[in-house]
Amino acid sequence: MPQRELHCVVVTPEKAVLDEAADFVAMPMFDGELGVLPGRAPLIGRLGCGELRLRRGMEVRRFFIDGGFVQVRANTVTILTARAQRAEEIDVNAVSQALHAALAPAPTPQAHEEQFKAQQRARAQLRVARHRHEQADHR
Amino acid sequence: MANTRMLVNRRKAVRNIRKITRTMELIATARFKKALDRATEAEAYTRKITELAADLSASATNLSHPLLQKRDEVRNTLLLVIGSNRGLCGGYNAGILREANQRLQQLRSESANFSLELSGKRPITFFRYQGMKPERTYTQFEDKPRFDEVEEIANRYIDGFIGGKYDRVEVAYMKFLNAARQTPVVETLLPLSPSAAQRERPQGERAVEYEFLPSAADILQELLPVSFKVRLFKCFLDAAVSEQIARRVTMKQATENADEMIKTLTRQYNRARQAQITKEIAEVIGGAAALE
Repeated sequence: MPQRELHCVVVTPEKAVLDEAADFVAMPMFDGELGVLPGRAPLIGRLGCGELRLRRGMEVRRFFIDGGFVQVRANTVTILTARAQRAEEIDVNAVSQALHAALAPAPTPQAHEEQFKAQQRARAQLRVARHRHEQADHR
Repeated sequence: MANTRMLVNRRKAVRNIRKITRTMELIATARFKKALDRATEAEAYTRKITELAADLSASATNLSHPLLQKRDEVRNTLLLVIGSNRGLCGGYNAGILREANQRLQQLRSESANFSLELSGKRPITFFRYQGMKPERTYTQFEDKPRFDEVEEIANRYIDGFIGGKYDRVEVAYMKFLNAARQTPVVETLLPLSPSAAQRERPQGERAVEYEFLPSAADILQELLPVSFKVRLFKCFLDAAVSEQIARRVTMKQATENADEMIKTLTRQYNRARQAQITKEIAEVIGGAAALE
């Protein structure tokens, strides 16, 4: 009988953020979102920055992750990322300020690229933070 | 009289020092435990990255990446020396600096160019005394190096390496083998050795057919810089753990020495006091005898 549960592990270079069971995991890939259900074929992929969702029963938990890699194998989802943040921990004001700073015109093409990345990161963070509020309203 | 007073004062001083070294030992023990926990947590990430790299390189055989390229002629070497900000940790800094100095002499004899980067106040003062100019210095790394800070440095090295500013990047630090053994080493981090990326998978483990998003080669292109960053981060973590161990061992030794010294001083003091009493009695008796 196939196992009806996923095991999700999130690690950053500094610490192991999460290690628990889930029914469904959705993660941001480099080109869009990818959902994983139990019994998925083995996969290695590159992550983008965005929202990681874990559903277990009726409860949904949200994280912000910033790039990295994912490995799916034998119902285990391993996420390697530089930064992982719980949705509740995102400081909306600080992120808004970061976005504002990133929107300033860049002097060199290289700086421009970096600022673009910073913009994307900040926008993704804000999106995750917004979803958190929607969820609260929904309840 | 002056002699006993001096002994008492000295004993007092040694006692105070013992208190300090004992406290430092306890603090170093606590910090060591925390640093070790961090290092083990980071270990999970490192292990996974190597595992992924092994899986990927099995699929993408002919990979070429600027970070893997060995330069035929090594003209510019970058040496990063990771030491501590504070002293009182025994031979910790001395060991690292000896290794680093040997490496520098070797480079000099090959008449190769090198640039020096230093982390920690101890290496900075040492090389200033040697009359060498470091390119950059860092003092922000204490017992809890943060990945963000290390990543910044790593990014600069990657840019420098790809841009041709450096042909090789080496790190001198104290490698943490286990709680009882640390050795100072000089390691080459760039170019990345392909053996680290293409590690043999353990026997008996069946290769899994993966689906790659995007292709294996593309993922590997992204993975290599990350694996370099992680290796550099691990150097800093190792250094932090080793420093605390070195400090703990040194302070333990110092406390024991102080204990011994207190014992000796007490014995000397008792003897001096006894000698004085005997002398006084002899004087009293001598005085009484003279009166008769």
